[in-house]
Amino acid sequence: MSAHSQKSTQSARLAHGGRIDRSRTLQFSFDGKVMQAHPGDTLASALIANGVHLVGRSFKYHRPRGILTAGSEEPNALVGVYRHGDQTPNLRATQVEVYEGLMAISQNRYPSLDFDVGAINDVLSPLFPAGFYYKTFMWPKAFWDKVYEPVIRAAAGLGKPPKLADPDHYANLYAHCDVLVIGSGPAGLAAALSASETGARVILCDEQAEMGGSLLSETGSTIEGLPAAEWVAATLATLAARDNVTLLPRTTAFGYFVQNFIALAERVTDHLAQPGANLPRERMWQVRAKEVVIAAGAHERPMVFPENDRPGILLASAGRTYLNRYGATVGRRVLVTTACDSAWAAAFDLADAGVEVVAIADMRATPPEHLREAAARRGIRVEAACVVTGTSGRLRVSKAMLGRLRNDGSVVSAGDVTCDAILMSSGWTPSVSLYSQSRGKVVWNAEHEAFLPGASVQRERSAGSCRGVNGLAAVLEDGYAAAANRQRRPQPVPRARADA
Amino acid sequence: MLLISCPYCGVERPETEFRYGGEAHIARPADPSQLNDEEWAQFLYMRTNTRGLYAERWRHAHGCGRFFNAVRDTVSDKFVCTYKAGEPKPDLDALARASQEKDAR
Ligand SMILES: [Zn+2]
Repeated sequence: MSAHSQKSTQSARLAHGGRIDRSRTLQFSFDGKVMQAHPGDTLASALIANGVHLVGRSFKYHRPRGILTAGSEEPNALVGVYRHGDQTPNLRATQVEVYEGLMAISQNRYPSLDFDVGAINDVLSPLFPAGFYYKTFMWPKAFWDKVYEPVIRAAAGLGKPPKLADPDHYANLYAHCDVLVIGSGPAGLAAALSASETGARVILCDEQAEMGGSLLSETGSTIEGLPAAEWVAATLATLAARDNVTLLPRTTAFGYFVQNFIALAERVTDHLAQPGANLPRERMWQVRAKEVVIAAGAHERPMVFPENDRPGILLASAGRTYLNRYGATVGRRVLVTTACDSAWAAAFDLADAGVEVVAIADMRATPPEHLREAAARRGIRVEAACVVTGTSGRLRVSKAMLGRLRNDGSVVSAGDVTCDAILMSSGWTPSVSLYSQSRGKVVWNAEHEAFLPGASVQRERSAGSCRGVNGLAAVLEDGYAAAANRQRRPQPVPRARADA
Repeated sequence: MLLISCPYCGVERPETEFRYGGEAHIARPADPSQLNDEEWAQFLYMRTNTRGLYAERWRHAHGCGRFFNAVRDTVSDKFVCTYKAGEPKPDLDALARASQEKDAR
């Protein structure tokens, strides 16, 4: 399929940038509509590049749902993907990789995504304030089997289960290593480097197709004099050349059992258009590790405001990832609403790529001076002590209502802005789930305003932002140190510099 | 899955090779016919069921096939030691103090 033979459907794909392979164009379909993408796209990035944000309906009220994140934490964009004449339900569009001929469908809508009968529940929601109470539907008794239950079953639930027997096969294997590193962002890469320097057997796994984590969405930061993405490539080449290192991309660590017994699920063929018949669909690795480094990163938190669930409203880091990693913009007029510094980087990157940033609304009374100066240089309107009080737009956000926070805590209107996307961030929550699975107890940290890993119960260390370390240089150093105390010879830590 | 060290084979093996055998060091009465019902029930059913270090029997069923004893922490599931059948029961209080001191360091 050549890019030149037909008109591009990718209205929100920017002319430059991203890590996608623009030399090849793929075709995929979503609810039967054929669209184009490039190798390296996820289904979510491809849909965004095609200007599609409406991807599903909510669980009970069937409210329109859009893509919220760019990773495995995606709560909304659950889709079904057809394969071998049947479909697998409830896959996250942010994790599904696009291949030639991919067929995906939205879920939980009837009869179609943009006209949904179940959405009447949304209008009636004052009658059912906390969702369906099944007891409400118990009377008269004879109605249950014939009327209530079939309707509730059709309205609730998500994807449809597959109908045919699973034609795939799945492999199982055991592995032993000295150090298992979970996560290949800056902390994980640094940990894998330092652990493998002395010949220790290292397994580095990451749930994404490409290793590098947050560094793949970075702009302007350098490590050891290299742009972040180039340092990732050089580091992965170094690791791949070491016989004692096993790299496992597309591999999710999903279970942490006693005595450092870890279960990993590797997705082997789901991303291939024509998988070889001999390949298993997935491999389950059961790893016994002498030491484990958890470098699972952190999850961004949304801003809480009325109607923050409309399609077109995403996390700020996701907007930045779609821009920098996939060369796609979440909108043409983007509002950024935040209570922390990191969302400003998304606004700056979008503005530098030629996308209109209509305003940065920061809840804080005095956002840092250097950020306000950087916004002024780009001509971005900044509203301090400002929050979003509501949004409108039926199937995609089209307007945001702003409010000014006053000293007494009250909010007065600060006017409306038209926008077709909102990026939001209220800060970051360390991902402590694997640490908790290792039987560790999290401890509240007032300075970070987060629960952080406490004492280790097993031979395990958390490194980087999953234990509250912030800033690229500090995260690299922490990752390096997490695996370095096992060796005699101290190694120089990679030097990082982050530019605003 | 736990790793358990068999004192006869001298190697660590996964839990699936072993069978659990209940509390260790419970001596069978020399003359059961002399016991009243309560004493017999005491021997048959009553166990200490400790929260913390616990001496228990394991059998290396899919290995050497032999019974041995182990001290395991029932809170953390950690094995403190394993030893051959017939060897004396370790001083559990001393072991508990030692492991507390190790954690404090
Ligand atoms: Zn044995």
